[in-house]
Amino acid sequence: MDKKTVRTIAHLSRLTFEEKNEEKITNDLNNIIKFVDQLNDVDTADIEPLTSPLEKTAKTRSDNVNAENRKEVFLNNAPSSNEDYILVPRVVE
Amino acid sequence: MLQSKEISNKEMLEDTFSLIEDNKHLNAFITLNKEASLKKAENLDNNPSELSLAGIPIAQKDLFCTKDLRTTCGSNMLSNFIPPYSATVIENLEKAGCISVGKTNMDEFAMGSSTETSFFGNTENPWGQGLVPGGSSGGSASAVAAGIVPAASGTDTGGSIRQPASLCGITGLKPTYGRISRWGMIAFASSLDQAGPMARTAEDCALMLNEMCSHDSKDTTSLDENIPDFTKNLNSSIRGIKIGLVKEFDLSKLDSDVVKVFEESKKHYESLGAEFVEISLPNITLSVPTYYVVAPAECSSNLSRFDGVKFGRRCENPKDLEDLYVRSRSEGFGDEVKRRILIGSYVLSAGFYDAYYKKAQQVRRLIKNDFVAAFEKVDVIMSPTTRGTAFKAGSMGNDPIQMYLEDLFTIPANLAGLPAMSVPNGIVNNKPLGMQLIGNFLEESKILQVAHSYQTSTDWHLKTPNGEIS
Repeated sequence: MDKKTVRTIAHLSRLTFEEKNEEKITNDLNNIIKFVDQLNDVDTADIEPLTSPLEKTAKTRSDNVNAENRKEVFLNNAPSSNEDYILVPRVVE
Repeated sequence: MLQSKEISNKEMLEDTFSLIEDNKHLNAFITLNKEASLKKAENLDNNPSELSLAGIPIAQKDLFCTKDLRTTCGSNMLSNFIPPYSATVIENLEKAGCISVGKTNMDEFAMGSSTETSFFGNTENPWGQGLVPGGSSGGSASAVAAGIVPAASGTDTGGSIRQPASLCGITGLKPTYGRISRWGMIAFASSLDQAGPMARTAEDCALMLNEMCSHDSKDTTSLDENIPDFTKNLNSSIRGIKIGLVKEFDLSKLDSDVVKVFEESKKHYESLGAEFVEISLPNITLSVPTYYVVAPAECSSNLSRFDGVKFGRRCENPKDLEDLYVRSRSEGFGDEVKRRILIGSYVLSAGFYDAYYKKAQQVRRLIKNDFVAAFEKVDVIMSPTTRGTAFKAGSMGNDPIQMYLEDLFTIPANLAGLPAMSVPNGIVNNKPLGMQLIGNFLEESKILQVAHSYQTSTDWHLKTPNGEIS
């Protein structure tokens, strides 16, 4: 993993860091990737991936309306809002 | 004391808050819930309750949403977040009569093994100045070990209940994946996260677990299985029980004093009539690398919700939406969280998904299969919980992998979804140490029974930094 790759995944993650830390971050990530690379030595042909230890189909429930409208509560939690919407910087000029 | 009415509920809670004050240097709590707690206690004095845990003061890990009480997850990102609802497990405990006295410190978003990654500063282990309490549930472990509260909640993704329990000399249990609802738990790695109790004894853990478990329609991974009374089998004899020892765990690399403690516990179990059987879990040495693909992948996906828009921290004066996302996240998250998000984005990115994420999930199945085969031969599996005792803050240096290896013994149970607990079993250089008991699926009662039989015939769980409690 080179600095360019690190910049790409940082962009994908919507993260940025100071240039002086770039070297250390690249090194850390390389060491971690090197560490997990030992998985490549295992023969996993025909092994079904395990996504969750439960392996049960999630139980569904009927789709009933059971919550009251708590618009105000949630708008209050937003860093910026008016009486109806959460506000962000203008997207369309 | 409460039951015999030697002390009123309010007096008890006042004592708890003065203990918190006396132990301020531990930095075990991020936010206190003093006013509401005292009011609840007063209500209980006026209207006595028959509830199982009525009036018991509990510390809650700051990863559980608590209605109208700040919930930070140890992060600057949520330093101003006041949830409009409580986690199911918090509701369950409060319905049983518990009083949530405060929110405990933790590694940021539960990513760490020392509580050093918290935005709110380190928590100290009451066993020694400058010692870490372990993590990520370090504040909960420290509060119980210092005798501030009899019990606390924790969460465990790769050892975050068991490792701090070991380093603080208390008992902690991670149940079977799905036993306790994850609704209202701030997600780190959804297929690994599980809440559980931390307390002085296995018996107290069982009492807590009785109330924490429930089937919850709001969590699709919550188990719809019978929930037994976890205290029922505590006193059953363990004569003839088969305890597995993992051949692949190379204890020769551990400190000889640590190995001695483990050997003595084995001898003690033999004297109680247990039988030791060597088992092989051929893929278990791959647990840590498997975990460090699966957990960051799930973390990068879960933490994408923190974008500075709907709740949590937003940067000052964003120049456009992209800048708002990037700066809110970069200012809100600490280094370890960023590191794991980056690793997660990398292993999930196009071209690498099969090589890393799919591969790790395949190895995860091999690890689970190893356990399934082992539990045909044994009732529980025993190992040390940690490689050693509590270490000094800052001593792991700058190498993240050294810290990751802290969870060598605990990670396998999360990958397989099995219940596991840590039980105090010795003291080395004035610092406590725990052993781990791993059970088969849904067999929390069995490991609790094996732990309880140990605790009724030894006194390691009664030792505190201030001497032995009676």
